[in-house]
Amino acid sequence: MDELKKEVPITEHKMSIEEVCRKFQTDCVQGWSQCSHPPPTTPEWVKFCRQLFGGFSVLLWTGAILCFLAYAIQAATEDDPAGDNLYLGIVLTAVVVITGCFSYFQEAKSSKIMESFKNMVPQQALVIREGEKVQINAEEVVGGDLVEVKGGDRIPADIRVVSAHGCKVDNSSLTGESEPQSRSPDNTHDNPLETRNAQLVVFHGSHCHSDLWPGDRKDPIAKEIEHFIHIITGVAVFLGVTFFILAIVLGYSWLEAVIFLIGIIVANVPEGLLATVTVCLTLTAKRMAKKNCLVKNLEAVETLGSTSTICSDKTGTLTQNRMTVAHILARVAGLCNRAQFKAGQDALPILKRDVAGDASESALLKCIELCCGSVRANRDRNKKLSIHETEDTNDNRYLLVMKGAPERILDCCSTIMVQGKEQPMDEELKESFQNAYMELEASERECWDQYPKGFAFDTDDVNFQTDQLCFIGLMSMIDPPRAAVPDAVGKCRSAGIKVIMVTGDHPITAKAIAKGVGIISEGNETVEDIAARLNIPVSQVNPRDAKACVIHGTDLKDLSQDQMDDILRNHTEIVIARTSPQQKLIIVEGCQRLGAIVAVTGDGVNDSPALKKADIGVAMGISGSDVSKQAADMILLDDNFASIVTGVEEGRLIFDNLKKSIAYTLTSNIPEITPFLLFICANIPLPLGTITILCIDLGTDMVPAISLAYETAESDIMKRQPRNPFRDKLVNERLISIAYGQIGMIQAVAGFFAYFVILAENGFLPSRLVGIRLNWDDRSVNDLEDSYGQQWTYEQRKIVEFTCHTAFFVSIVVVQWADVIICKTRRNSVFQQGMRNKILIFGLFEETALAAFLSYCPGMDVALRMYPLNFLIFVYDEVRKLLLRRNPGVCCDVIGDEETMRLGTVTGFGSSSGLVQVLVRPGLAP
Amino acid sequence: MYDKMAKDGDNGWKEYVWNPRTREFLGRTASSWGLILLFYLVFYIFLAGMFCLTMYVMLQTLDDHKPKWQDRLSTPVQCLRVLTPSPLSLTGMVIRPKADEYYEITYNTQKTESWDMYAQTLDKFLSRKSGLFTSKSLLGEVKNNPKRSCQFNRTILEDCSGINDRYYGYQDGKPCIIIKLNRVIGMLPGKDGQAPFVTCGAKVNYSQPLVAVKFLNITTNEDVNIECRINANNIPTGSIRDKWAGRVSFKLRINTI
Repeated sequence: MDELKKEVPITEHKMSIEEVCRKFQTDCVQGWSQCSHPPPTTPEWVKFCRQLFGGFSVLLWTGAILCFLAYAIQAATEDDPAGDNLYLGIVLTAVVVITGCFSYFQEAKSSKIMESFKNMVPQQALVIREGEKVQINAEEVVGGDLVEVKGGDRIPADIRVVSAHGCKVDNSSLTGESEPQSRSPDNTHDNPLETRNAQLVVFHGSHCHSDLWPGDRKDPIAKEIEHFIHIITGVAVFLGVTFFILAIVLGYSWLEAVIFLIGIIVANVPEGLLATVTVCLTLTAKRMAKKNCLVKNLEAVETLGSTSTICSDKTGTLTQNRMTVAHILARVAGLCNRAQFKAGQDALPILKRDVAGDASESALLKCIELCCGSVRANRDRNKKLSIHETEDTNDNRYLLVMKGAPERILDCCSTIMVQGKEQPMDEELKESFQNAYMELEASERECWDQYPKGFAFDTDDVNFQTDQLCFIGLMSMIDPPRAAVPDAVGKCRSAGIKVIMVTGDHPITAKAIAKGVGIISEGNETVEDIAARLNIPVSQVNPRDAKACVIHGTDLKDLSQDQMDDILRNHTEIVIARTSPQQKLIIVEGCQRLGAIVAVTGDGVNDSPALKKADIGVAMGISGSDVSKQAADMILLDDNFASIVTGVEEGRLIFDNLKKSIAYTLTSNIPEITPFLLFICANIPLPLGTITILCIDLGTDMVPAISLAYETAESDIMKRQPRNPFRDKLVNERLISIAYGQIGMIQAVAGFFAYFVILAENGFLPSRLVGIRLNWDDRSVNDLEDSYGQQWTYEQRKIVEFTCHTAFFVSIVVVQWADVIICKTRRNSVFQQGMRNKILIFGLFEETALAAFLSYCPGMDVALRMYPLNFLIFVYDEVRKLLLRRNPGVCCDVIGDEETMRLGTVTGFGSSSGLVQVLVRPGLAP
Repeated sequence: MYDKMAKDGDNGWKEYVWNPRTREFLGRTASSWGLILLFYLVFYIFLAGMFCLTMYVMLQTLDDHKPKWQDRLSTPVQCLRVLTPSPLSLTGMVIRPKADEYYEITYNTQKTESWDMYAQTLDKFLSRKSGLFTSKSLLGEVKNNPKRSCQFNRTILEDCSGINDRYYGYQDGKPCIIIKLNRVIGMLPGKDGQAPFVTCGAKVNYSQPLVAVKFLNITTNEDVNIECRINANNIPTGSIRDKWAGRVSFKLRINTI
């Protein structure tokens, strides 16, 4: 990383052409002769396999393989093997393949979007290889290629000029010079930027890609999901192996133990969860695109939400990039102006005409046009300096005018025009200008004009005098902040996000703008302000007293790491002026060192390293260069800072909603695992089958879990601090505690109650059940007695058992109704939040309908091993659950601040399930 | 730098487990842990109490003499009948002696030890059966009274009663098999008001849900597959799913060599 901050040593321009050719083993006529190898890309099938075998899939594959193994063993040892294991294996395989395909297509979709960004402007390069001209993509250019460039081409890579005829290149994105620079094969300067025989391109070309861009970094959400998968896999494997060993110790056969293992794995893995997460992220990305935030990779959505520092550009992002002249002290701006009105709009008022040229020049043009009427002077295309013939034909002198930043212009002046007379410029005057200019600068921008006495005409080189000029006047301009920005900055502040303004402006200008948009809030002072107020030297002010600070970019270089940390930590409002891209990178690194998640905005080519280094790089859709768009994770279509804040809100929302989804999905794991545990430990008939578990995970739970992604933001979403990436995990012990320890247990109890009711009403009282398993699962025992002395054949018992599975399933569905309403909110009461989420309501109905379908559809008893249950169970169950559901609200006040208002969910819910009962019962009750 | 970080991480881990400065164990103080444990204790006690209470209420609603639902005991004949459970029931049938899980009775008349266990099983079964049927004191554990069984006398099984022939004919190659219907409370099998009958090739009529079959002339030294069906109008014959409902099949092989 440190490499990046240093200048890359470039010596090629100092070598002779032959040396360069030797160095790159190339020939300056024939071109490069070694075959080029395109950079390795991941083949599609590898990506597919990664989806197929990554994450939870490995666990499920293990389960499926164990199933097939168990079936194979059964088939080998028994005459009439039960097909259960085979079916389960097939179902598991199908589940893995389908979810794998789903994720693969999702990823393919998003990478296609990214591809389209890359190809927005497909840059081509004409290279000579082995004597032949080949048109290739710019990124395939390698060191040693002989590149041919003609007028209008973009330079594809850093090149050493071998031969050139009248070649000029536009270097503005690199050096800021707007004037095309000549290029020729001769070395004219030691500095590769200045010399004429080398052309550097900062971020194109293969070697730049690999050398300069920081390596892969993982998005916080990707880390979170990985963390979460590790936890769940750990738990699954731990439980599975524990019970496998326990089963062996308890004297079960290997086969049975393996089947338990499969059951526990299947119960533990939330199969549908990863798909849910992907869908949630996609939904949000779409929603953000509507709000002018184009997200290039899905994970960036969430990253934005956890952002704690935003390093924002000034021009165009915070401000409108439309200069208007605020104060005029002179009227000679029009002459050396490069801006021109576009043709065909004479009818329009001057202020509304389109102007070709940069913002400050167009502002001046408009201003002059308004004040002095038409400007028809012979405008040279020179930005700061222009030479005109005077209108007086007898006068053989030329007029040289110059404008620019005040400090530079002032140095070139020897005289000053005061009331029409030329007077020598002395120190006193300079001083007073300095003060005047400070005052104006405090709120506006600057421009100076210069009027010479007459000089010899000249060509390209500056062979004339540019000092001894006469100072004419001062103009001030303002780039007004965007309307929504102060509000957005305020929102950021209340959301605990630090906004750092990074700009190339003069510190005083920067400070003025920062105050204008609220980045330096009212009443906060910088060290210099305090010094000025107390009239003491700056060195005597305690830096801790100043909350705000304005740092000069060049000072950053001299700061040690500790000093840097100190500044970033102790000042809440930071403005960094006169910043270069390298310094931007230093700032981003400094913030990240302090544990912040940093968003960086940028539009220029040279912002790319900072955009890449940042946790989330934000490029500008309108003004941004293609390179910056490629490097960024997100693109603001309207270049507006306020859109970032909207993005942050969406990002936080998605984190909240994902958390809700995960809490919801994880909850049903406990009622899925506990049946197995009791089955093994208490030897009761199996309360919940493996297929039924899959029905819950992939069937009924899916739509409600996804519907939580549509949940609207809670009122305090932008009033709390950004999440701490180290402490506030997506899945933390608090979430596990509430999902597994409390709600999950309630659900398990509900399920077991349903199970016991079914069995008891069919004759097997709970006391009879304990220890019955061995006979229960024995095919040859066909006269097993229940508590009433009735005798059951194997098939009859199994039908009761499957009815129990169904009952357990339905009771989980019912408690999941309550759970989804519980999970709807993290902090708000459900009454505050309301039930306006239509998708969620749809989800509830869908869940119920699916459950009813699975339980009652003819044929399902064969396919899924579900048998209808008596609806009377609800009557008991409902009353009990109604009371049980009250628990979390009451209890969670003690345990966690986040789950406080749960009480509200209950009352509204009881009636709806009652309704369902009434609807269903008449037709179905036996 | 990495070393330093690793070391920090190590310390951090140790500090996480036990932080002597703040007296925190795994990131929480003792009182915090105590509160959590207390909460979970109360929570689970409450949950368990709730469960017990509802179970108790549920058990109170149960009839002591007859389970609430018996439709599962009668195998539904067709899936479509699921919505209106069939009033027809198909009780299970089992045979005694039960040999192994594949219902194979194989023995050699020459070797006493190969059939002795069958005879013993039958002995045990019949003595228990008659005991059950005659002595009411044994019915205490079963929630089903008044018991509608008739007085049962083993002599009614004639040759298969084990009184005349203690070996139930096994020694002679004419073994007795007892087929019994599974008991279902309240079910009175019968065909047009008559007692049901079981067909096993030879017709043997008994009014008890217990049938003794004696194979008088069976081919020896080869496998004989036998299926017995129950015939009664409220017991439909045949069910694809349950091969033990209303019928029983087994394999018999008597070796004489």
